[in-house]
Amino acid sequence: MTPPPVSRLETVMGTVITIDVYPRQEAAGQQVELTRQRIDTACAILHRADEVFSTWLPDSPVSRLRRGEIALTDAPAEVADVVAACAAVRELSSGWFDPWAMPGGFDPTGYVKGWAAERAVAALAPAAGVAGAMVNAAGDIASRGALPAGRPFRIGIADPAAPRQLAAIIELSGSIATSGCYERGQHLIDPQSGSPAARVASASVTGPDLGLADALATALAVAGPDGLSFVEAVAGYAGLVIGFDGATRSSPGFPFAR
Amino acid sequence: MKRAPIVAAGTVVGVVLVLTFHTSPAALTLPTGSGSTATSGQKAAGPGSTSSTGSGRTTGGKSGSGKSGSGKSAASQQTAGQRTATGPVVNYNYGLISVRVTVSGKKITKVSIASLNDGSNPRSQFIDEQSIPQLEQQALQAQSASIQGVSGASYTSAGFAQSLQAALRSLGV
Repeated sequence: MTPPPVSRLETVMGTVITIDVYPRQEAAGQQVELTRQRIDTACAILHRADEVFSTWLPDSPVSRLRRGEIALTDAPAEVADVVAACAAVRELSSGWFDPWAMPGGFDPTGYVKGWAAERAVAALAPAAGVAGAMVNAAGDIASRGALPAGRPFRIGIADPAAPRQLAAIIELSGSIATSGCYERGQHLIDPQSGSPAARVASASVTGPDLGLADALATALAVAGPDGLSFVEAVAGYAGLVIGFDGATRSSPGFPFAR
Repeated sequence: MKRAPIVAAGTVVGVVLVLTFHTSPAALTLPTGSGSTATSGQKAAGPGSTSSTGSGRTTGGKSGSGKSGSGKSAASQQTAGQRTATGPVVNYNYGLISVRVTVSGKKITKVSIASLNDGSNPRSQFIDEQSIPQLEQQALQAQSASIQGVSGASYTSAGFAQSLQAALRSLGV
């Protein structure tokens, strides 16, 4: 019997982020307290990322950067890190992920949510007595470790044609991000046209780092099945696309559950 | 078309996201015993049940009713009295939602919507009408969880899960 995780739901970054920390054995007393403190730290990381990178908060450093009020060197140090990472993913994705092509100027949102969740989960595990931890940022999931006894986390992928149903189940090692236009409306922008566009109903990317997976999934949704090649070219990453007709295509290494 | 219920949740205490699974038969490894117990529990268990009416508005005619017959074998789960709590009203992407849950011991026997205000926006209503009956239905089976999360999951289910979790917490589950 799997001991229950210590869990929290945190409203941040315009969504609800769920945090689950799985103890090796039934957690009690001091260990629960320690885990709660680590979750506090993880939540603080998420809120900090929101304050720095939000394009909705008019006074966030990134909003001021977008308006040209400050230079990159005036912004908190992590902004330069994210800008460099975004440039790297733009390269890796052959330009299909391009925060500089967004309406309104540089918008790193497609990378930042995953990047922040990845930093948050690192505050939770590995740690003594902890088998594994997960941070689920509205469907983009960063993890460390596994369930007790080493069983892998199993994660469902929502069916884009019916978002309360699953199209697939995977065994998660690291992270998974899914992009699509279902439910949240058309939020994907084609960097080549500057217009909303997605060539598939849903695109998922698995790999070690959720920031990169998140950005690659965004790129893959816009690029369509042909984009699987740039995902697979990044060591450790694999993709799955689900077409508007329900047809799926996936990388050879995509970790479907048996 | 038949849809097999699936259960997507951390634990009772964790995030109870709830979905149905219809495409990939390979993964339909529902522990059938535990899956059916919760559904039947709400009817069979008499003692001390409080507000156990009104859940049937949408869930009753679906797969749940088909399963409840077989659930009699699970009567051992129903010894404890039933307790009900209503979760806080949670702001989600389309409006406000509050979830009511009934437990027997540590087992969820009933989940329903205590309140919902999605602003009468047609799109929100469409999404909620599609999702909430299934969320209710599937949350009953959350304890037999076979997955720990959902990628690409939705705002509605996040709000639902948040209110449900708080309700469960107030019951000490």
